[in-house]
Amino acid sequence: MGFWNKLLKIDRRWIYTIIWLVVMIPLLFPFKIKPMAMPPVTRLFNYIDTMPEDKALVISVDYTPDIQPELHPMCIALLHHAFATKRKVGLLTLQVMGLGLGEAAIRQVTEEFNAHATTHEDSIINGEDYVYWGWTTPIITILLGMGERITNVYPVDYYGHRTESLPIMKHLKNYDDIGIVVSIAGSSIPISWVNFANTQFGVPIGCGATAVSAADYYPYLNSGQFTGMMAGMKGAAEYEQLVADKFDELGIKWELRRKGTEAMSSQTAAHIAIMIFIIIGNIAYFVTRRRKK
Amino acid sequence: MIVLVLGIFGAVAFVIPHPIVKSIDETMRNDVLRIITAFSLVLGVGSIIQHHLIKIRRKAEHWPFSYIALISLAVSAAIGLFGGIDPASPGILPTHIGGFSFHMQALYDNIMIPLASTMFALLAFFMASAAYRAFRARNLEATLLLIAAFILMLGAVPLGRMLIRPLPDFAEWILTVPNTAAKRGIMFGIGLGSIATSLKIILGIERGWLGGGG
Repeated sequence: MGFWNKLLKIDRRWIYTIIWLVVMIPLLFPFKIKPMAMPPVTRLFNYIDTMPEDKALVISVDYTPDIQPELHPMCIALLHHAFATKRKVGLLTLQVMGLGLGEAAIRQVTEEFNAHATTHEDSIINGEDYVYWGWTTPIITILLGMGERITNVYPVDYYGHRTESLPIMKHLKNYDDIGIVVSIAGSSIPISWVNFANTQFGVPIGCGATAVSAADYYPYLNSGQFTGMMAGMKGAAEYEQLVADKFDELGIKWELRRKGTEAMSSQTAAHIAIMIFIIIGNIAYFVTRRRKK
Repeated sequence: MIVLVLGIFGAVAFVIPHPIVKSIDETMRNDVLRIITAFSLVLGVGSIIQHHLIKIRRKAEHWPFSYIALISLAVSAAIGLFGGIDPASPGILPTHIGGFSFHMQALYDNIMIPLASTMFALLAFFMASAAYRAFRARNLEATLLLIAAFILMLGAVPLGRMLIRPLPDFAEWILTVPNTAAKRGIMFGIGLGSIATSLKIILGIERGWLGGGG
């Protein structure tokens, strides 16, 4: 058996080992890469950055734990951006499996901000600066019901507080008080937000999607039904970079943990490794085919 | 008849802003739909319990795992209902022994997230192996697919811009123009297909969803 034939029939465990090394080594020893934001990410960032101050940012945590390494950094970056610019935030999930992720995200970011807060105004307080509505079902009831009265859809928040009694809800009655809803998902839930919330009530929708599903959303982005979009880990890293620049602009000195950017070295190495695999596989295929002929 | 009336009403309510129609529509969505969904939850839990009990009784293949499924279901339901979310929002059930916490968020952070992430991460290995063994430039279409994949893969990492400056913009163009053109065609097809199927269900022509034959 020739060299190319052997290469074609290589034990797959070698491929697995190479991929493991290619992913792990850059995670342990990352190389520095500065992400450059693409237009869909910039559009989303700029919209949130410049929307009226009395409008809230709503984040729909519609992803599940399996895809959280790719999408969770987006949620964290959005929360950093919103709290740094003193926006009110509403969080909800249309996926029951996303409940814990929403809780983890809001807990992490509020702890970061509150650790550096010196006054009550600097602190991020549950019920005043943000509300976590949690999960309820069915989707159509939520998406249409929020256009009428949010407290009807969510009578209690995730922690069991009556939403009517929360100070933030006095200024957050329905979609009229929401600047944008950003749905972060690995499924088609963002399209449901477009179908019901955007089409019926005109509320702007942003989207955070996995890299593989991002292609499905470009028609909505082109038509303006999505205000902006973060696609995959790269989208998260780009948004993190814009938020870091915003922190500098606002004079916020503390360092942000940027998981999307940290994972970029690993993703870059993995993409290059797969491309090299494809090239070697094709060379081996054509050489052995020519010899057979 | 129920499907016919409710199906037509559901569509009509979107285009008639009359207060009576709106009021009925709100009741249907906020109350009736939620009650039906709550029943489906009970049905789902009942179904999974019954499925695993039958497996255990018949000692079907991998039956011991059914015990794990049922115990996990009971424990997570008990903690979720009575144990509170985390130490900041405790429930009536104690969820820590000394320094060891097992409240809902602890279970989620330490079991659910690592398990689900690990399962999904395995895809990277299978994808790499499949790309090596099966992604061949056998004909013109496969070659075009290969070139597009290379551009998008390089465009999806910051290194792409460092190697060839306009590459990410070109990758973005592929997604924005040719991809959108193809997707729109597919979406129109799906949309028309959905309308046709919905009409068949509402008018009683298609009855497969009831569990019988078409």
